[in-house]
Amino acid sequence: MTRIALLFLFLVSLTLHAQNTAIGFNEKLTYTASYNMSGILTDLAEVTMETTPVQTSKAKLLRLKCKATTYSKWDNFFKIRDLYESYVNPNSLRPYLYNRDINEGGYHKNMKYTFSHKTKTVKTVQTKKSGWQEKKTVSIGTDTKDIISTLYTIRTFDLTNLSPGTSKIFTILFDREEIKAKVTYLGKETIPTAIGSKTCYKISLGSASSNTVTGTLWLTADENKIPVYGKFKIPVGTGELKIKSASGLKN
Amino acid sequence: MKKLFTILAFIASLFAIIFSVLPISNLAVMPAVAAIFFGLIAYFLSKKAGKVKKIIQFTFLLTIIALAITTYKSVFNTTEVANTEAIEATENKLEEESMEELENLEIDLDESELEDILIE
Repeated sequence: MTRIALLFLFLVSLTLHAQNTAIGFNEKLTYTASYNMSGILTDLAEVTMETTPVQTSKAKLLRLKCKATTYSKWDNFFKIRDLYESYVNPNSLRPYLYNRDINEGGYHKNMKYTFSHKTKTVKTVQTKKSGWQEKKTVSIGTDTKDIISTLYTIRTFDLTNLSPGTSKIFTILFDREEIKAKVTYLGKETIPTAIGSKTCYKISLGSASSNTVTGTLWLTADENKIPVYGKFKIPVGTGELKIKSASGLKN
Repeated sequence: MKKLFTILAFIASLFAIIFSVLPISNLAVMPAVAAIFFGLIAYFLSKKAGKVKKIIQFTFLLTIIALAITTYKSVFNTTEVANTEAIEATENKLEEESMEELENLEIDLDESELEDILIE
């Protein structure tokens, strides 16, 4: 009986630790963000998603970095230089430090989150262009993550045996507020991409509170589950994210 | 009717020329097609009535210029990222600050969890 109980405990502990088998330490994904209006595409920006190893004196962490840069033809009209980064546990993708530095058409904002999972709080520091600074401490739930680590966490889930329509709720800390996001598995689809034709898991992203879908994402149906294509709702037309290149994949 | 199509064609051609000089030059194709369509209707209606107004010809001229600019831009302009010095400087600055912060941070990592992780 004790053995069975121990085995059960072992199995439970295994399932509780979401293992990262999809994201490597030197992965680099490059995308083109475009605007689609009635089938006519206009390229807006280049988006890169990069991972790098970070060694501190106490631990080895994974740095997740997302960068959005408008193409030079847009720079005179509306220049975007956005940088998001998150320092996470390489296995569970639990965030420790998050930085968001946005520069959009002259508007500049920097936000830093320092997570303390023991006390379930996040120390936030918001800095604006003029040097104005605001510090706040917010309480978070056990599974609350920043937006970048949530995006990567989606890739760590095993979608092989899911039935279409299955959804999962994520809690994201954005602009110092906890937001409930809903990710729904829609099924498998084969789509042509710049890195070849790929069979993908199609998932929808949206708000859990209002039950609205804001975007659809196609993740490769392999061990890496890299996002190869994304479609997002905007007031007029649709926004698209298409993969340009992928390197340093884990599998 | 003739007047309405002339106005519609003229407005569409104006949109086409404005879009063609903006970075969204690809989108100029839609108003350009509309301008040609409305312009042709206006032209044939005017021809039936006996006199073709100069504005219709001007509309066609504007549309052709818009299409020429759009074609030129789509063939010769490459989409590239430039002026990234500022964001690279921010990246380096943030990395330095973050490293300092992480050193001072109490990271509750489970060592056993990290044993099998190899950094390439």
